[in-house]
Amino acid sequence: MKLELGVALGLAASLAAAQAPDKLVSGPGATLTENKCKICHELEHIRRTPLSRGEWADNLKNMRERGAPMTDEEMAVILDYLAAYYGRDPAPPAAPDTLAGGGDPVARLLDAHACSGCHTLDQRVVGPSFREVAQRYASDAGAAARLAAKVRSGGQGAWGQVPMPPAPALSDDELLTLIGWVLSRK
Amino acid sequence: MDESRRTFLGGVAGAGAYLLLGEAAAQDKPAAAPAQPAGTIANEAVKAEKHASMQYHSERPLTGSVAAHDHDFDVTPNERMFVRNNLLTPDLDAAQHRVTVKGLVDRELSFSVEDLKQRFPVVTLQGMLECAGSGRTNFQPRASGTAWGQTGGMGCPKWTGVRVADVLKAAGLKSGAAHVAGQGGDPGMIATAAPVIRSVPIAKSMDENTLLAWDMNGVPLPRVHGFPLRLVVPGWVGSASTKWVHTLTVLDAPFKGTYMTGSYVTPKFAIEPGQKMPPDTVSTQSWPVKSMITFPAQNARVKGAERITVRGRAWVGEGSIARVEISVDEGVTWQRARLAARGDPYAWRTFTFEYQPQRFGYLTFLARAWDERGNAQPMVSAWNPLGYFWNGVHRVGVLVEA
Repeated sequence: MKLELGVALGLAASLAAAQAPDKLVSGPGATLTENKCKICHELEHIRRTPLSRGEWADNLKNMRERGAPMTDEEMAVILDYLAAYYGRDPAPPAAPDTLAGGGDPVARLLDAHACSGCHTLDQRVVGPSFREVAQRYASDAGAAARLAAKVRSGGQGAWGQVPMPPAPALSDDELLTLIGWVLSRK
Repeated sequence: MDESRRTFLGGVAGAGAYLLLGEAAAQDKPAAAPAQPAGTIANEAVKAEKHASMQYHSERPLTGSVAAHDHDFDVTPNERMFVRNNLLTPDLDAAQHRVTVKGLVDRELSFSVEDLKQRFPVVTLQGMLECAGSGRTNFQPRASGTAWGQTGGMGCPKWTGVRVADVLKAAGLKSGAAHVAGQGGDPGMIATAAPVIRSVPIAKSMDENTLLAWDMNGVPLPRVHGFPLRLVVPGWVGSASTKWVHTLTVLDAPFKGTYMTGSYVTPKFAIEPGQKMPPDTVSTQSWPVKSMITFPAQNARVKGAERITVRGRAWVGEGSIARVEISVDEGVTWQRARLAARGDPYAWRTFTFEYQPQRFGYLTFLARAWDERGNAQPMVSAWNPLGYFWNGVHRVGVLVEA
């Protein structure tokens, strides 16, 4: 019995480890860095080699030339974060990401579940703007349920061929908050 | 149905949606990876065609290679050829595929693979391809980019295709033609992804060993290696050999794009390790002289009474290998290895060295190749920010047991 429990706990732990989201060291700008970089590649690309600030600046310029959707302001935040936490010099201790989400519960969700890497309120980035989504579904009574399912399991085709990855960690309450907020952006 | 879901549905959706969401939620499985973009091949399908010894360094983009001791072949088998994508692996239809030659040509031409086979002489040759960053993890301090192992990121298969020179001649080169840019059909994760375009000087493009190839070791290119058509620019950094090639554009200067100016460049002059790329850079082209020991394996156990046949491969991007030397005293003295006869101009060459261990214990072999112009492999290659062109002497240690 004890053995079985141990096995079960071990299995649960390994399942949890397998499903744990890929995260960088917490610090100001960590969430933005994760959400922009993991659109195209795994975060191991950041962890595998510490670089000097100048090298990270070259790297970010290179990534933007290759198509990474980052504004100048976002690039500056990401550079400060990477130079500090993945630099060639010793890193500062992990700290809360004071630049993510802020006090607004919707913004926190958008950052925490990587939505903000690809979507903004008014501008098309990788995916449609939230306003575009709200306008398209303004008179569609069934839209909320369909969007909720799509956000949770991932989607493709409604706005182009770039797939939207699933967000399985969103709770029902969080989905409620997000979908309600998005659909009222019209 | 738990309380939170009831609240959700009551709050946002109507009664009709209630059923829909319930169904969708019930069918949800925790998805581990992002969806596969349309028209691309999943990494799992690529890996299914690869040897178990392949070590993968990243999934997005897919990169992988085998270690030196898994490279012990005169001709690299397809399943052991290194994988280095910049974007995703496209799923292309050979019957629909065309390659178009345009730019500074007298007439723009477009060919299917079948057209190329019918119209031009078909050649087969063994040719070396190696990623510019091959061996990058040898650099100290570490350099930015794919973490290729000490020896990973290269291979030397046989390619079948037509000469790019014949195709360019058919199109007719205009005066001022200086570079040929290859573009492939690999899509990125997102619509803004820059296409991977590299250009090659006209002299190398017109070399009789530079091919538009459709076969690799006698079978159609595996999808990850460029099916149905790719450039093969042997001896040069792998990125010159555009996979899934659909356009050759003849230009009057090197192509100006991120894969020419931001990547695949090295500092013109040596810089302090750990510093950023200086303003003066040169585009990477041919590989310097290099070798690796493919037998015995690192940390192998061997029986003391047995003679050891050290075996390896040596190559140089342009030119030919003059000799390979082995040291069993950490580079103090060197002895000549036996070099196999020269094959195709851009093929690697097998070398062997017979050695009778003099004592039990730990023993190291160092291999150093020389080209015919007198260039030798350095012990440590010059550090550069993107970690290109590692060609330091390869060292393998074995334990000789009683």
